[in-house]
Amino acid sequence: MSYKRKSMRTTKSGRKREKWTDLLPRYLTFISHMRPILRETRRIITNLDADLLMDIEILDTIRQEEEKRNIRKVRALSEFSAMYRSNVFEIIKDFIVKYRKNIQMIDIKDYIIEFLKESVDALNILSHITNPDETNLEKTYLYRLVKFIEEILFPRGINMKIIYKKLLEHSINFYECQRHLLQPHTFYREKINNPDFFEIPGISPVVYQIINNILSLYNLDPNFGEFPEKKNHEIPMILTNDVFLPYIDSIANAEEEAIEKIAERLGLRIIDGIFLAPQESFIEILLENNYLRKNKQADKNIRLIPQFSNETLILYYLAFASQRRGFLSKEMINWISMNFAFLIYMGILKWKLSDENIFYAIFKDLQTNEKILPYLMKLICFPNYLGLDKMKIRDSPQYRKEIFNFIGSQIDNLKDFINEIAIFCEKFENKKYIKS
Amino acid sequence: MQRLNNMKIHFPKNNGEIFIKSINDKIKNSFFPNTKNFAESFEQILKSRTHEQDFIINELLNGFVTSKSKAIASGNKVPVIDRMVEAFSKRNDFHIVDHQFFAMFGNPNKPRSYVKKQLEELIKMFGLISKELTVEKDLRRSEKKVYTFYTFTDEIIKILEKKYIIIDSELGQARVSEAFDRNVFICMFLANIATNQDDIEKIGGPFTINGISSIFALILLLSFMPKISVNETNPILKDPSFNENTMSVIPKSWMMKQVLEFLFEPIIKIVAYRIGGGLWLSKIIDSDVNKRIHSQIRMLLKDVCRWHLGQLVRVEIPIFVEIANIFTEILITGNASKE
Repeated sequence: MSYKRKSMRTTKSGRKREKWTDLLPRYLTFISHMRPILRETRRIITNLDADLLMDIEILDTIRQEEEKRNIRKVRALSEFSAMYRSNVFEIIKDFIVKYRKNIQMIDIKDYIIEFLKESVDALNILSHITNPDETNLEKTYLYRLVKFIEEILFPRGINMKIIYKKLLEHSINFYECQRHLLQPHTFYREKINNPDFFEIPGISPVVYQIINNILSLYNLDPNFGEFPEKKNHEIPMILTNDVFLPYIDSIANAEEEAIEKIAERLGLRIIDGIFLAPQESFIEILLENNYLRKNKQADKNIRLIPQFSNETLILYYLAFASQRRGFLSKEMINWISMNFAFLIYMGILKWKLSDENIFYAIFKDLQTNEKILPYLMKLICFPNYLGLDKMKIRDSPQYRKEIFNFIGSQIDNLKDFINEIAIFCEKFENKKYIKS
Repeated sequence: MQRLNNMKIHFPKNNGEIFIKSINDKIKNSFFPNTKNFAESFEQILKSRTHEQDFIINELLNGFVTSKSKAIASGNKVPVIDRMVEAFSKRNDFHIVDHQFFAMFGNPNKPRSYVKKQLEELIKMFGLISKELTVEKDLRRSEKKVYTFYTFTDEIIKILEKKYIIIDSELGQARVSEAFDRNVFICMFLANIATNQDDIEKIGGPFTINGISSIFALILLLSFMPKISVNETNPILKDPSFNENTMSVIPKSWMMKQVLEFLFEPIIKIVAYRIGGGLWLSKIIDSDVNKRIHSQIRMLLKDVCRWHLGQLVRVEIPIFVEIANIFTEILITGNASKE
């Protein structure tokens, strides 16, 4: 007989720490270790005679002394602090070596102090991004930033028409970002034909090509058939077979089998088993946005002629995903929340740090990102914010590495959006300041 | 109709002067230099890189959907080529270790078979070379382990070092610049085709020949297409993303299956003949697979051009403008001599 006590735990380990009050401290942990290091370094540099900075070895000695003062018990934290401090000092050293011949030491010292001040300010905002009990929600950066980004990339609305309209309004400036949000880089983990009919996966490269094919066929060679819900009206239809015609080697077999599901996410439906035609509700949206033109035929029938744009179908997919955000696939949830977290993080950095700040590299480093972003991702998923299923966010470090690797491969439009977020932050703070 | 008529009259003139000029001056020089030296060819292609050209080639090769295993710009599973660029950028000597590469896709000690397979294919396709390093006791299990390094040939490394290595003289460090991207590998791919155009197996078989010829036939055709003037009331003019100065509406009627099929086939054959001679031309046969490869190019149009409220819009990038200018020039001289 075993005397070993049976575990009473019914949930997976780690799953219990999913409440707001559990997650927020975890998000703050590493930030609260980064800020003192930068503040202390700034104090040291301020008190140091500028000429002493010429000698790089002095900085090494100071760093070694600082490391001795480390009293943290948790190994991961002390390791991170040591790594962070050594990175900060290395960057300062490189900066001095690079410019000591061209710039006066006193100016170099001022630059370093200014860069450190900016970095502390940024961390200050990141650590006060929200509060433990979510009071005065609308005055917190997290809430306002999530809502600002959500309105442009993933808006809410009572019906598809409203969501689509909102997306279309912002697509002039941020279509690339909207499309990016639908294309998780971990698409190879998705099941295109998931047994759960309601689950919405992201757009894989093959599905993206298929959407392009559908779009081209509608604009170039549409057939016209009876509008099932409206008499004397004809709607555009294309042959499903034509969409898959160019594929060889069974490349798009999975997509061909799942065409019904893909069609639904694009606002289309299968008619007579062979045609792809827009759904009734989508036809209304298309007419409203000039994507369908009415043409009276000689036989008195009204023919709806398609005049689609690149964004016509993609934005429907995004609106569909936004409306049914409770049914998003695991990859989509991870991807969307990661992008939101990344945009908020980078927006705050852009706002607080000058472009030439030498510590930008540390903030953008994968090691720093993976300490801050995963918790920010989970906070963003709470009902007051994006309202996604945060239980689907993966905790595996390998997976984090896999998705965070792509953070570096930014698209230009994403950079424009980060600038826009930085401007929004500035305005929001000014408003707060005026009110107080 | 007038443009079609002009094409009918001027295309056959002087033994196809328009095609010879367009393909020789604008396509062959930039993408398929006439040399048997791989490094020389690579350098020449690299030199003619422009942002717009990169975009076109990238989009077209990206869209090469049928090239399941041979695709260099897109992977069916993971964008392997991007990871390869990332791996090469991390070191300043243009070497990657298989172990480091596998680590990007999961446990490096148990790499997935498709990652191994795709790496091998890419190495072969880009003409990279491998070097082995045997470690008597590895840190993990204290066992003997063989690591494989992959790198470029010495001549290519010299070119890359000149173009993509930034040396910080103050810090004495060398790093790979941000300009080192996937298009460097695409240039390697094109250089490989240019130097081995007589060895069909080495460049990926008839599949590559049909694909490449179709892509450049599309570029030619897009350049020859006329602009249409849109009505003042056309909603496209109100579209904020449409820029009248850099974009032009091309007739949709030219994109119809019936028109494209008729125009496409001979142009693909001309491109194949001009680039690879009789050998390439003999591979452009009307098989079912080839027909599919050719038909998918029609779909690729969307990646190069944009749809704006049902109108196909061509962004006037240099290669289109230059080829269109050759056509206009010949047209004008032809008309002048007639008068």
